[in-house]
Amino acid sequence: MFPSRVLGMVQLKSMLTCIDNSGAALVECVMVLKRKKPAGIGDKIVVVIQKQRSLGQDLSATAQAAVKVRRGDVCHAVVVRTKKKYSRPDGSYIRFDDNACVLVNKAGDPLGTRLSGVVGEELKRKNWSKILSLAPMNV
Amino acid sequence: MSGPSPLRPLAWCWTSVAQFMKAPLLRKSTIPTQFTRSFIVVPYEPKRRIKIHPPIKGPLSKNPIENLTAAAIAILDPSGARQKMFSRHNKDSIRPGDILQVRRRNGDPFSGVLLNIRRRGIDTGFLLRDQLTRVGVEMWFKLYSPAIEDIDLVQRKAKKARRAKLYYMRQPKHDFGSVANVVKEYVRRVRPAPRTRR
Repeated sequence: MFPSRVLGMVQLKSMLTCIDNSGAALVECVMVLKRKKPAGIGDKIVVVIQKQRSLGQDLSATAQAAVKVRRGDVCHAVVVRTKKKYSRPDGSYIRFDDNACVLVNKAGDPLGTRLSGVVGEELKRKNWSKILSLAPMNV
Repeated sequence: MSGPSPLRPLAWCWTSVAQFMKAPLLRKSTIPTQFTRSFIVVPYEPKRRIKIHPPIKGPLSKNPIENLTAAAIAILDPSGARQKMFSRHNKDSIRPGDILQVRRRNGDPFSGVLLNIRRRGIDTGFLLRDQLTRVGVEMWFKLYSPAIEDIDLVQRKAKKARRAKLYYMRQPKHDFGSVANVVKEYVRRVRPAPRTRR
């Protein structure tokens, strides 16, 4: 009834914000998985961590342990927001102000334990219920 | 042999006279009398008959598309409230910059600042912008969509916007930010049992 793929514009060299607490802040897309076209919401991509989340003065052992990835690491991620508007089956369109992703391992489990922003509802359709349950809000 | 025979021109004359005498005979024989009779007796009947309709007197209405649109709107918006709300001719219609809340049939209500109205008859749509968890979210709705339950005007823009499309509100400098507090206040005022916005 509706397209299984959501239109997106995340491709090679796209910079995305990482919204989980895995330690990454800014990541760069290096590959789109299982898709010949640019990635949209719910698509898996391969990213390189470009910027780590600053820990500030808090250098306690717990904060250090929370950091799961370092700058330069290659990781899998799932796109959760796109700047490109995409259509819903009911005819409405939605767009966000930024491109954002959540880091996942190869099995598909998120690396972080908390998400810090709104995510697209399409994740439900794409069977990313684990990410949805962590998200504070989905639109 | 001293030149052509004097009899030759006479011979030519004879041939032409003979032709002249033959001519009426020949002409008579070319008329297909039998064929003409048969044609009259058994008229030609085409195998497939083409039905010829009388000409249409003219278009039923001068602007059929407008009639079609009106009929479709009458089905999708029987009360005419939505049409009036977005009409150009209504003085109290909503304008870009107003804050709206859209209650959806399946899904949570979405509210935001109205950035753009695209008036195209039944295809009319509008764009709302809000900030959720400090991330700008824009949603485009179709005015006559059955998926929309109701559209509420939450707050008018204090001063009429001088533009029809308020895309400049995407810039951080002009961004309205989250409308959650405005909508919360409105819901508390209007509806005794508040439908809480997540």
